[in-house]
Amino acid sequence: MPASDIVGRARGRVPTGLLLVAPPVALVCWMIIWPIFSAIARTLWLPDPEGGRQLSVATYTFFFTDSYSLNNLAITLWTTGVCAAFLLPICLSIALYLRFADGKLAAYVQGLAIFPMFVPSIILSYALIRVLGPNGTVDLLLNSVGLPKINTPYLTPWGPVIGLVWDNIPITVLILLSGLGAVSDQSIEAARDVGANRRSVFWHIILPRITNSILVAISFTVLGIFSAFTLPYVLGPAAPEMMGPFMQRTFRDLNDPTTAITQAVITFCFCIAFGIFYVRSVAKNRKA
Amino acid sequence: MAVLDIRDVSKTFGSVHAVQRFNLTVADGELVCLLGPSGSGKSTLLRMIGGFETASGGQITIDGEHVTRIPPEKRPTGMVFQSHALWTHMNVFRNLAFGLKLRRLPRDEIRRRVEAVLDQVGLAGYGQRMTHQLSGGQQQRVALARSLVLEPKILLLDEPFASLDQHLRERLREEVRDLQQRLGITTLFVTHGQDEALALADRIVVMRDGRTEQIDPPDMVYRAPATPFVAGFIGSMNLIDGAVQNGAFHHAGFTLAVPVADGPAILAVRPEALDIVQASAAGAAHVHRVTDFGAHAIVDIELGDGVRLKSQVPDARLWKAGMAIDLQPRAFAVYRDDVAIHRADRA
Repeated sequence: MPASDIVGRARGRVPTGLLLVAPPVALVCWMIIWPIFSAIARTLWLPDPEGGRQLSVATYTFFFTDSYSLNNLAITLWTTGVCAAFLLPICLSIALYLRFADGKLAAYVQGLAIFPMFVPSIILSYALIRVLGPNGTVDLLLNSVGLPKINTPYLTPWGPVIGLVWDNIPITVLILLSGLGAVSDQSIEAARDVGANRRSVFWHIILPRITNSILVAISFTVLGIFSAFTLPYVLGPAAPEMMGPFMQRTFRDLNDPTTAITQAVITFCFCIAFGIFYVRSVAKNRKA
Repeated sequence: MAVLDIRDVSKTFGSVHAVQRFNLTVADGELVCLLGPSGSGKSTLLRMIGGFETASGGQITIDGEHVTRIPPEKRPTGMVFQSHALWTHMNVFRNLAFGLKLRRLPRDEIRRRVEAVLDQVGLAGYGQRMTHQLSGGQQQRVALARSLVLEPKILLLDEPFASLDQHLRERLREEVRDLQQRLGITTLFVTHGQDEALALADRIVVMRDGRTEQIDPPDMVYRAPATPFVAGFIGSMNLIDGAVQNGAFHHAGFTLAVPVADGPAILAVRPEALDIVQASAAGAAHVHRVTDFGAHAIVDIELGDGVRLKSQVPDARLWKAGMAIDLQPRAFAVYRDDVAIHRADRA
């Protein structure tokens, strides 16, 4: 075949490839990139008294000087951190068990760990209210054996924590399990052969090999939890409240779209900071 | 160094008997090869010695100490795995130093021992390399060095060269043999390659379906296989099913005098021990094909009923396809009920 024909065919593929990726790229630009820039512009380019518009950071100044807004940001960061702190050990334990265990019990545990993925957040919220809420199942059980009621986590900051941890178990377990799949049985056996006990095997062989998976899992859960809405809205306290319900209330109840957009931009900035941290960590690990 | 003693060791997985009442004593400094086809139980046996599988029955002792129920991290054994099993997040030095650090040796001692072993396996100066920067042969040397640096009493090698090409495999097995003899370390080597076993071992254990078929030095296993299975598994062998009647083995017109009782029998003749002569009349067989390898030739022979045999001859030019021939085995064995009942060597 002449070289010119091959080049011609290769050239012919370029527009086809571009056409294939064009719709999703256009959709991302329209639904994500454009709203981001639009939101930033709308919160910085504010109307002035003369009817025109001027560059101003007034909405951001308000957010960072308003104690209520700062409390909401703090409770969001606290919830995210506490959820991550609970999720990692819980899910790592489950993932380790599933990676090294065989048999029926492991299959049941896997089923239970993945189950929350198929439960909508709103159903989960009401289920938790029925179980942990005032006069819920736990209270009834305690009452039946003559014990006092629990201090319900419903409408406290612990309500969203419990719900979000349960809701994020499946994705975290799956990511960690896929990372553990890359740790071969023989590399673990080789470690035991040179004298490593279970703790040393975990610390020196398994953990360094799944660092990327842990970073991915934490990033995914942190991003999801930081911008969560349903569970904090239904299970959380009215004040302070997480950024999701806070934005919704500012937009709908207070009818203040500019402030709501400012809150969204600030939330987005925190999420992108987590994203940059994740990308840098993964890149650093790959280089190493 | 140490003596390994395996007594009546068995292993079952559900209803599968992977190893059945296995017995073996490996002398101090001896290299024994466990040889057998896939599923014969050789790797399972090695893993039981290493502590990675628990024996269902029997006992394993090293220098008189029972180790059957001791976990791998507490056994005085070192294992080299088929896939190298190097820790890719550590460099070569750290791979070797890991076991020594767990034993809390001083830093200088660790450095000295790691460098000495790297030198022994021909990898001096490779300590700071990451494992992915090494070739397959170098990775296998690192795996071997990782075991040797801990100075185990027993070295266990589980098909360590299986993933390497033929040339590298031959070179490494010579190096391993030299190193093993220099260090005088008691070694068990699992392989399904007969050439590897014949080249390396002081003794070969041929295994089949979890049982021992034969335990002997390589020349005995090759020259006097205990069972038809060993005869067929080691080297090239012509196995002819037939019957002995009135002091002669018969099969499709081929007859050979053998001093055994009448009954069914299997005749085993190696190609190099099967001479052929041009037949004056019809002959017992005819030449099917001649393959010239330069230094020698292989003549494919077809018996009257279509059974094919091989004969190794010095000169290919003497033989043509279709030529009627007679067979004259120089050395052979006759088997009945999986036992050799007669051997002959007319060389």
